[in-house]
Amino acid sequence: MDVSYEPETERFRAEFRGWLEANLPAEWRASGYWERLDSDEAFATRREWEAGKARAGFAGIEWPTEFGGRGGTPAMKAVYDEEMAVANAPRTVNSLGLVFLAPTVMAIGTDEQKRDIVKPLLYNEVIWCQGFSEPGAGSDLAAVALRADVDGDDYVLNGQKTWTSNARHADMMFALARTDRAAERHQGLSMLLVDLHAPGVDVRPLKQLSGATEFGEVFFTDVRVPLAAVLGAENRGWQVAMLLLSFERGASAMGQYTAFRREVNDILALARRTGRDRDPLLRQAIGRSVVELECLRLHSLHVLTEVEQGRELGAAASMTKLQWSETHQDIGELFTDVAGLAHQIGEPALQQSFLWSRSETIWGGTSQIQRNIVAERLLGLPR
Amino acid sequence: MFFALTDEQRALQDSVRRFTADRFGLRSVREVWDDADGDGDPPELWKAVADQGWLAGLVPERFGGLGLGLLDAAVIARCWGEAVAPGPLPATTVAAEAIRLGGSDEQQREWLPRVAAAEVRLTLAVGGVSVHDGALSGVVDHVEYPHVADRIVVVGPDGMWLVDPAGPGVTVTRHDALDRSTRLGTVALQRAPGEPLRADAASDVLDRGAVLCANDLVGVARQALTRTVDYVRTREQFGRPVGSFQALKHALADLHVAVSMAEHAGWYSAHALDEARPDADRAVSVAKAKAGQAARDTTAAMIQFHGGIGYTWEHDAHFYFKRAKREEYQYGDTPTHLERLARLAFDGG
Repeated sequence: MDVSYEPETERFRAEFRGWLEANLPAEWRASGYWERLDSDEAFATRREWEAGKARAGFAGIEWPTEFGGRGGTPAMKAVYDEEMAVANAPRTVNSLGLVFLAPTVMAIGTDEQKRDIVKPLLYNEVIWCQGFSEPGAGSDLAAVALRADVDGDDYVLNGQKTWTSNARHADMMFALARTDRAAERHQGLSMLLVDLHAPGVDVRPLKQLSGATEFGEVFFTDVRVPLAAVLGAENRGWQVAMLLLSFERGASAMGQYTAFRREVNDILALARRTGRDRDPLLRQAIGRSVVELECLRLHSLHVLTEVEQGRELGAAASMTKLQWSETHQDIGELFTDVAGLAHQIGEPALQQSFLWSRSETIWGGTSQIQRNIVAERLLGLPR
Repeated sequence: MFFALTDEQRALQDSVRRFTADRFGLRSVREVWDDADGDGDPPELWKAVADQGWLAGLVPERFGGLGLGLLDAAVIARCWGEAVAPGPLPATTVAAEAIRLGGSDEQQREWLPRVAAAEVRLTLAVGGVSVHDGALSGVVDHVEYPHVADRIVVVGPDGMWLVDPAGPGVTVTRHDALDRSTRLGTVALQRAPGEPLRADAASDVLDRGAVLCANDLVGVARQALTRTVDYVRTREQFGRPVGSFQALKHALADLHVAVSMAEHAGWYSAHALDEARPDADRAVSVAKAKAGQAARDTTAAMIQFHGGIGYTWEHDAHFYFKRAKREEYQYGDTPTHLERLARLAFDGG
């Protein structure tokens, strides 16, 4: 066993840390900074900063250099996530494009798609969102009903997507649409690349329970999409969606670990200030959060080792998701328990994180779906 | 980055598993359980400990051992838990660490070669023992296998000593404990002579005990889960396997995650002590707290999901349930370790 990183990885860490120190304004690192800004202004600022980071070579860490990436290792990506969280740097504004779309395009896209999609995405010239969920298709993704009918050289889209993260700021959407209504429900889907500035697209913000409007619903009325704007083959959308989601699997949770650990430190400081650090029951809850957090860190090291050894992770990603999302919810409850009623009016960063944690067991596959996957694919229980 | 067992450690794991599966399976365990008056120390199992060198790992090479780390011992502990194996191997391993870490050169020379060859059995008695003029007095309950031990390492608030149970002033009383896979007794000391060991080694010894106990618990939990999953896949009610119902699936999925996390924490705690990593204290308490909770939950689910048969003496579920329960309270119970983690967190650890 050896839990240290290669010297090359540590050199990369030092280099990136140095860049962050020089290029991340000190006031941005302060707790609650982003919560006080207007959300459009915050988005624009983060978009520009992130593009500068990409130009400096700190983006697409594990992508091949031909796609504008750094050509690094999975360990470097984990270290990158860690350093971003340590610095309290703003999270990416293009996560769905970076995590899901770009690796899929690199794997199965046409030469034109590789050229037109990957680099502009990396430099935030184009912001992407994901069009999967619909009012009638949540956990049951194959129930997608957005219609895409062929008319001349175009598909014509009619229908609706919902819970779309980044809907308000996105330029493009990779959308699962029904291109063959006669086929079995998994067979008639295609992954379309839709311009959200096209006529007939109506984006309406949805106000979340946190008060933010960073997701929305998107309505399509006779929206024309060129036939060439399909990722993978027509009617192979389900397979493309599964490939796309698989790219999250190798992802390490070191970024989450580091960010959550900082939240716990903020909660400890709050407890000290209010004298709640002497409450034995709260101390037990703090101990439990430490246990789950450290397990998350060790699980990330395990996943990283598996990836480096070239092993297929498959359904194990569901364990990662369950561990980090449920741990984060516990930390949110720890915050309210330590703060007491003061959580209603104070500590904006912890307050927002506490609210946001309720969404984390829903998006990206609910905890219930993750448990089905663990039970059926890892434990072999019958369907 | 290599957060995994080495090929050698996997080979060790395979050999212990193969031995217990072929030569000391649940039928042998049951014989020990059903023999309440026996000493709970099956000779064929101890012979295997000697033949296979399962006590030699932590003993330095100059004393005839292998000079391996705690992680290698944790591999054996994990297998021991999986097999719900009886006998004084765990107690001897921890007590020998007290001699290795706190003994004089002479004490090490006297005892460690015999530990490596499994010629002696040792145990650890942790409690409120007082010392006057070099003689020890006090009563320590819940000591593993004191009735077969050649020496008892007594750990008190003011020091650590090596005590001969056959010597003057020592009385050993056996108990019929719930978990018959590991026999417990009371050691009463009345002005008993003790050879001092270095007192400052005691906390390290207890941490090492906690790590081995945590890995044994992980083995118990993993076996309990595997056996339960196997059962609910085939047991049919309402015309379908009960394992197809989400009420069971989701509970078992959560347990699988918990046991997997406990596995990581168990291995890491041993590695952290081997390498004297700065987070070693935290790693020990994370491992013990997580393994204790995972084993408590998993062994309880084993009984529940087997239904009526799971509550019978003839079913094996109670071997796992009772062993997990005992170990949950050894080397610091869960609240003790959680409190330690809170203290470390407030201290910035």
